[in-house]
Amino acid sequence: MILAWQFIIMIALSCAFFAWFLFRPISQNISGDESNIAINQQRQDELISDINQGLIADDQYQTAESEIVNTLATELRPDTKKSIAIKPLPWTLAIILIFGILSLGIYSQLAPKMIPSGNSLSEPLSMSDSIERLQSFIEKNPGDFQALKMLGLAQIGIGNINESIEAFERAYLINSKDIDLLLQFASAIAASQDGQFDGKSKVLIDEALSLDPQSIQVLYFSGIVAAHGGNLNGAIEFWEKALYLMSNDHPDRNIIEEALGTVLNLQVK
Amino acid sequence: MLIEVGHFALVLSLIISVLLIVVPSIGLYQNKTSLAQLARPLVWAQGFWIALAFFILMSAFLSNDFSVKYVADNSNTQLPLLFKASAVWGSHEGSLLLWVFVLSLWTVAVSIFSKRIPSDLINQTLVVLGAISFGFLLFLLFTSNPFERLMMPPLEGRELNPLLQDFGLAVHPPMLYMGYVGLAIPFAFVLSALIRGQLDSTWIRWTRPWALVSWSFLTVGITLGSWWAYYELGWGGWWFWDPVENASFMPWLVATALVHSLSVSEKRGAFKQWTVLLAIGGFSLSLLGTFLVRSGVLTSVHAFATDPTRGLFILIFLFIVIGGSLILYTWRSSLLQQSNPFSLLSRETGLLINNILLVTAMLSVLLGTLYPLILDTLNLGKISVGAPYFNAVFVPIMIPGVIALAVFPYVRWKKDSLSRVFNLLKFEWICVVLLTFLSWVFITDNIFVLVAVGLFIWVVNHVLVLFIKRLRSKAKLSMSFIGMILAHLGIAVFVLGATVTTQLGIEKDIKMNIGETQTIAGHDFVFNGVSPHSKENYSGFIGDITVFKNTKKVAQLSPEKRYYQTGMPMTEASIDPSITRDLYVALGEGLGGGAWSVRIYYKPLVRWIWLGGLMIALGALFAAIDRRYFLRVKS
Repeated sequence: MILAWQFIIMIALSCAFFAWFLFRPISQNISGDESNIAINQQRQDELISDINQGLIADDQYQTAESEIVNTLATELRPDTKKSIAIKPLPWTLAIILIFGILSLGIYSQLAPKMIPSGNSLSEPLSMSDSIERLQSFIEKNPGDFQALKMLGLAQIGIGNINESIEAFERAYLINSKDIDLLLQFASAIAASQDGQFDGKSKVLIDEALSLDPQSIQVLYFSGIVAAHGGNLNGAIEFWEKALYLMSNDHPDRNIIEEALGTVLNLQVK
Repeated sequence: MLIEVGHFALVLSLIISVLLIVVPSIGLYQNKTSLAQLARPLVWAQGFWIALAFFILMSAFLSNDFSVKYVADNSNTQLPLLFKASAVWGSHEGSLLLWVFVLSLWTVAVSIFSKRIPSDLINQTLVVLGAISFGFLLFLLFTSNPFERLMMPPLEGRELNPLLQDFGLAVHPPMLYMGYVGLAIPFAFVLSALIRGQLDSTWIRWTRPWALVSWSFLTVGITLGSWWAYYELGWGGWWFWDPVENASFMPWLVATALVHSLSVSEKRGAFKQWTVLLAIGGFSLSLLGTFLVRSGVLTSVHAFATDPTRGLFILIFLFIVIGGSLILYTWRSSLLQQSNPFSLLSRETGLLINNILLVTAMLSVLLGTLYPLILDTLNLGKISVGAPYFNAVFVPIMIPGVIALAVFPYVRWKKDSLSRVFNLLKFEWICVVLLTFLSWVFITDNIFVLVAVGLFIWVVNHVLVLFIKRLRSKAKLSMSFIGMILAHLGIAVFVLGATVTTQLGIEKDIKMNIGETQTIAGHDFVFNGVSPHSKENYSGFIGDITVFKNTKKVAQLSPEKRYYQTGMPMTEASIDPSITRDLYVALGEGLGGGAWSVRIYYKPLVRWIWLGGLMIALGALFAAIDRRYFLRVKS
């Protein structure tokens, strides 16, 4: 809803700007004839300067001068047409109408559909709107594990790492056996420590590994923890196992292969 | 929330471009001045919304908003601030937004600096520019939206291509785009003159300064690209005849021809047809470059990951622009017939020769760039056309161009006599032969270098003689004249730098143990070893090499081998620059036992290449601010 108002303000500002110039048009510049006369006069002056500097032969001067005059003669077009005045109001209204309908119409076709809300399925929500809605939902349902997890994810999406950790912490107190939560929580903590997976972050990933040692995501993160700890062989082992467990067309396959490639490279060095 | 505002701002810009095409056109054809005069406010509003969208995307990069797919794909929290800002144009969607932003900057500039231009011409020109921006905004919004959101944002973004994590990314693309997109302005002036059927002195006069400024930016952009490639790629080369480099070089060649052709059209009323075709050709080639980079037909460090839809869109746009312009040209060709006569030996002929050589050179580059693509498309096999072809074809075409540059500024307009020109050149030829002979005796016997030295001396000589003659004649030194001699001097500096560095440069690819010394061009390179090195977004190794000349230390070089998060290895060369030579060292691979492979280059006069480029660009800027473009007209 807030966005809709912003859009309307943007449309209104644009239309007001156009309307101003329809009611008070910018004054006209010189005419084509005035411009051509001035330019050809300047050419004549340059021709005199050219002959003084020897850039054109004396016997060519007259020819060049008559060429300038002839050029001007062919270019002059006395303007007999009179400007027709317009009624600015109908034009302003037409522009407002076309501008408003077209811009909102095209945007509704192009806008990404974020999290659909119960009230308006077609209205796109920004991340901040989503967070506001989740927060008000959690105020009413403080024990909702999924909502807290979503809030943590959304907060980190807009860079609020501390708020994200807070939300994950609350979710963790409700259910400490959820693999996804453990990994997301660990990542948020790592993000707050300049990307370092140590301390509590490492503990959470170890917990996830003990809960499901066959999970591809857990193996990936365990590899990162090992690599950060300088245990390159351990990282290779985790990632090779993850690759073995993955299907060939798994969307995350490239990420793990890239990581493995990096570590193998470093090991070679 | 801001992201949606940025996206909507682009939608508003698209609608404004529609209004810009329709409303002033109605005003122009029905003689309703108020509607025609709305062109400028529409341009300003469009410029404002596009700028807002651009800076919103930049703020998303700076604030690590990974809920935006484009940001998540091209930036991460560890990326230094400068690279975050320049990552905005590090990939397809953002670079297209930069294109649209630059086009809006040019359009706003035309609308502001247009007080001396007749209203009808300027309004029609803005309509044409509106049509171009409509095409690009449509492309941006429907196939390449940079504001796409992710349903589940990642915690960390991806790595920006390590090759692009450099100061070069901050300056090379914006400058290049200023030149590329700037060619839309002469094109728009020409098209509006054709549409109005008034191919008079006015459009020629006002096309030239814009052509000069965009040519200047294009020169700076290409020069910066060459400099960036030189220090970043670790090969010590300054031009690779890469297809995408060629894509920017072809419009430059045509724009060079255009600024010369415009000078004849402006001063002597000749070459009008040719000028119109060059203006259309320059912009069409810049669109062709866009197609080559974004369609996926090329594989290059410059080419963006693409999908065929995008390529098809640009191809259709290209056909509309070229086809539409040529139809207009044919329709109005009768108005372009009038041309003032000139004799075979005249300055006009010299400029015509210059134009023919430049266009021939452009066609040779076009052929070498497109030929492998055409063969591949027709399933006739894969071939690669590289430096040997381009050097063999391009250089012989351009040598007569440089000679013409040294001769024709002496030749008079309209008609001259051979004996007068010969008499004027006698002194120069003696100078050239004498100094080239001395170079042969004391410096080198390399024939290519001697030819370059001869041309350099000749051009410097002619510049000095022209300058002295102008001072003696007590005529005012116009900016246009200063610009011309500066640009011609820039060509000479470039030719000498390029030839000397190519012919006399030394390259050694060697294994070095700790404490080992290699001697190149009288310089002793002592390898002190390699140590681990890391920063926030990469880790790797840094070498330590001390350079001595005659036992005196002249440089301490620290080449790097970096590994970014993606695992991509990067070579960061270490250079000791000077105006006479560069000492260039790049670290290769570790070979065990403390030994490393090292590439050492000695590059004489390599800086002259870029100095020449900058002199050409500066010359163009001087010419663009000549007093004739500040003409005062009394109604």
